[in-house]
Amino acid sequence: MSIFEYNGSALIAMVGKNCFAIASDRRLGVQLQTIATDFQRIYKFHDRLFMGLSGLATDAQTLYQRLVFRHKLYQLREERDMKPETFASLVSALLYEKRFGPYFCQPVIAGLSDENKPFICTMDSIGAKELAKDFVVAGTASESLYGACEAVFKPDMEPEELFETVSQALLSSVDRDCLSGWGGHIYVVTPTEIKERILKGRMD
Amino acid sequence: MSILSIAYDSRTTIFSPEGRLYQVEYAMEAIGNAGTAIGILSKEGVVLVGEKKVTSKLLQTSTSTEKMYKIDDHVACAVAGIMSDANILINMARVQAQRYTYAYQEPMPVEQLVQSLCDTKQGYTQFGGLRPFGVSFLFAGWDKNFGFQLFMSDPSGNYGGWKAAAIGANNQAAQSMLKQDYKDDITREEAVQLALKVLSKTMDSTSLTSDKLELAEVFVLPSGEVKYQVRSPDSLSKLLVKFGVTQAPAEAS
Repeated sequence: MSIFEYNGSALIAMVGKNCFAIASDRRLGVQLQTIATDFQRIYKFHDRLFMGLSGLATDAQTLYQRLVFRHKLYQLREERDMKPETFASLVSALLYEKRFGPYFCQPVIAGLSDENKPFICTMDSIGAKELAKDFVVAGTASESLYGACEAVFKPDMEPEELFETVSQALLSSVDRDCLSGWGGHIYVVTPTEIKERILKGRMD
Repeated sequence: MSILSIAYDSRTTIFSPEGRLYQVEYAMEAIGNAGTAIGILSKEGVVLVGEKKVTSKLLQTSTSTEKMYKIDDHVACAVAGIMSDANILINMARVQAQRYTYAYQEPMPVEQLVQSLCDTKQGYTQFGGLRPFGVSFLFAGWDKNFGFQLFMSDPSGNYGGWKAAAIGANNQAAQSMLKQDYKDDITREEAVQLALKVLSKTMDSTSLTSDKLELAEVFVLPSGEVKYQVRSPDSLSKLLVKFGVTQAPAEAS
């Protein structure tokens, strides 16, 4: 079994009209055994920047802690929050530093950039950035997620419609993957508010 | 100082015959010419007030502060002395705080942060042949072990915990005024008032306006989160009028 499939994960980030949604599953497993059903994969760095980390959970946690370190220092020195594009470059650089002994993670970054334009991107475990205008996915259920998102995506969705779309795409994809699931955790972020919701799906 | 002292003051790494480190003392002289900073500990938070020395009209106004700096979410400091030296130490403190948080996944206790910075400062008085940092600090912070704390540190690397302290120009006068008027159960509002009053008495200028001062507070919000807040110039002006430290302008404010 691949090291990327050891813990199981599913992540989506999708762009809407002046908003974005970022969603993950909630399962933490050790191969076939489920250990936790409330595992947090998505982290908030500031009100307009979120990152989800799929793959090996220990690497995801360590990578997150290193990024908090860097981001806090950035905030103190520059006296402002980091833009999502800058943050993505930082993550890419950190991952490439470990080119020959990498973190077994695939990040999904979502944020609001200048003029409240939504920004999403993903990268592989050694920092190859992939910018997208519509959606990005990661995790053990990524193949199903690609298909589901492609089918239901429409440009310029309002926050409520975006929430429904992302929820459907996430839940239907994780149902086809034994290593991810046990509900969903979804953030819908607009310039004025952050709505966090827990989804109940097939609890298996 | 005697003529003999001149022979012992060009290197930090040697004592004088009287057992003094002249370079360290000269560093403290440099700070005696810098803008005053006062810190007061109350049971609801710590108040830091600083006198701004650089007040030219030509200065490009920016949101960043001259005397007060945030080190981490739960610790801030006021500086007095050579600003360029202070910037180096502030950066070191910030990195130290993040290193601790990375290792232990919790905020660095205030005293440990102060101690680590002071250990660095001490190094510059004992080896390397480098001069000491010409900065004194007032650290204000909160941690779950000891609540609100105020620490003062100087170029020698010495530090102490204080209920109220002053650094920079006229710090002795300010310190004795604080000693008279400070009471153990002082509230945050009273601490702000005391700090402004003492600063206005020790400052050289005749009238205090908000562009000559900086005021910052470290306190805990109802949610439990520690907050470091620098008062805006408008808010500061209102406070100065309220506490009778400055005349209200002719038209109604």
